Amino acid sequence: MATLAPKVLASKSLAAWIAPVAHWYTNLAGYRKYGLKYDDLVIEETEDALGRLTPRERFDRAYRMKRASQASVLHAPLEKADWTKPQEDVRYLRPHIAEVEKENAERTMWDTALVTRK
Amino acid sequence: MLAARASTRRTVTQRVNSAARSFATVVDSAGIKVASVDNNQPTSSVTFLLKAGSRYETKPGVAHALKNFSFKSTANRSALGTVRESEIYGGVLSASLSREHLALTAEFLRGDEQYFVDVLSSILLTTRFARHEYNEYVLPTTHGEISSSTPSANPSFQAIEIAHALAFHNGLGSSIIAPPHFEHHVSHEDVRDFAKSIFGNRENLAVLGTGIDQGKLVGLVEKALSGLGGSAPASSSSSTSSKYFGGETRVQADSAHGHGGPQTVFIGFGTAGSPPPASLSVLSSYLSPTPSLKWTSGTSPIASALASSGVPASVKVVYLPYSDAALFGFLVQGANGEAVAKAGKIAVDALKSVSSGLKGDEWKKAVAKAKFAAASTLEGREGLVQILGGKVLAASGPSTAAAVEETIKALDRVDESAFAKTTSELVKAKPVFVAVGDVASLPYADALGL
Repeated sequence: MATLAPKVLASKSLAAWIAPVAHWYTNLAGYRKYGLKYDDLVIEETEDALGRLTPRERFDRAYRMKRASQASVLHAPLEKADWTKPQEDVRYLRPHIAEVEKENAERTMWDTALVTRK
Repeated sequence: MLAARASTRRTVTQRVNSAARSFATVVDSAGIKVASVDNNQPTSSVTFLLKAGSRYETKPGVAHALKNFSFKSTANRSALGTVRESEIYGGVLSASLSREHLALTAEFLRGDEQYFVDVLSSILLTTRFARHEYNEYVLPTTHGEISSSTPSANPSFQAIEIAHALAFHNGLGSSIIAPPHFEHHVSHEDVRDFAKSIFGNRENLAVLGTGIDQGKLVGLVEKALSGLGGSAPASSSSSTSSKYFGGETRVQADSAHGHGGPQTVFIGFGTAGSPPPASLSVLSSYLSPTPSLKWTSGTSPIASALASSGVPASVKVVYLPYSDAALFGFLVQGANGEAVAKAGKIAVDALKSVSSGLKGDEWKKAVAKAKFAAASTLEGREGLVQILGGKVLAASGPSTAAAVEETIKALDRVDESAFAKTTSELVKAKPVFVAVGDVASLPYADALGL
């Protein structure tokens, strides 16, 4: 995923400018009002990556999904106390996805590698 | 007849001894013991032998899980990378577990030693012990090995495993196969901690090479393992010294289709003390009913008694020496409990009649057979690693140069009186008796005269 985030975060002044806008934008997306985390929405999820969550993480994820679906059926966000707090909105799945993608890339590399004897 | 051939026998002995002298010496390289044998064969092998067998394990099943964790991803290579790179070099990687040792072995063509020593040392230094690898690779493999060694799938293996538990209780009695639901109390962190405690001390490691120059191997090992057990070495792995107990147990084993494995009985006799007396290997070679020539019945007392009685059962002599104990016994297998009882009685009677000692040609025959078995085991890579490695790890200093020669020379020194003493003591102790199969029809120990 191409992103400018590391570059922005590297510069203190730039981060101070952009962070409030980013937080405003994230809240505007609305998923936090339904108790979800950002990584509940990523579409690159694979069975391999989900399988690497701890049992607790897997249970919590399923719980958030069910609660959000129910709220969606009711056409109303959750109570404010149940909204995802910014500090809770961690990227719990992204590292696993990155690892699986790296493994797949390595497998492709070995499958197509040309070996030359030195 | 043997006396007439004494001169031939002497030359055989000399030849065995002179071959033994070409075995490599053990070099203590910065605390790591390295030994290598080079007979100019086209392939080389390097084995890292670790004191990580089941007798040292902290929880039941940890040693087995650690064996299956070998060659998984490390800091520099993924598990897939290790496999594919080794395939490109044409090498074979393997891990094997015994009660005392974990052996990580690489076999490869001459000249590729640098890469393979690097692979083996990275296992020790930087294996990641990732949780997902534990769940995705280690657990399925371990469970596969567990289910192929259940009492109904492999009665002979289970009989000997249970016999170890009865004979030596904790320590040496721990099974090399993990218990069926071990993952509930053994996590990847437990395996990692166990590995760290073993890998963290150089005294737990011996490096053995075949087909590789000693100096070259020492150089590679020194370079690759310079970071091992660095600033704060873990304590050397220890387990309570073995004591022999003995006892009797019966395990019901039946297959779903009614035609499972054979009915099995293991009758064992153990001793504690290091090293195990050489006369035990003479005893096992004398009693072993395996004939020297195929399709004959052999001249062992058990073989001839079995052949004349026509009992549909087989007897195998099992002799398992360890660093500070030994288990000797008979594995009796047959189609039904009655046949097993008869064959077991034959085996026990044969052992009892030997316990008064062997005389003349019988004695010479047994010693020659034992010597040949020892020498030919030492010729193969696996036998060499097992015997030399055990001696190298057990010794404290680099003074183990003669360790391998010693194995064969010890048999020269055994005499009839020592043999009679060892055997009668063995028989006097409380035996181990394990019955696996249809326990209703299998005999009890007293029925065999024990």
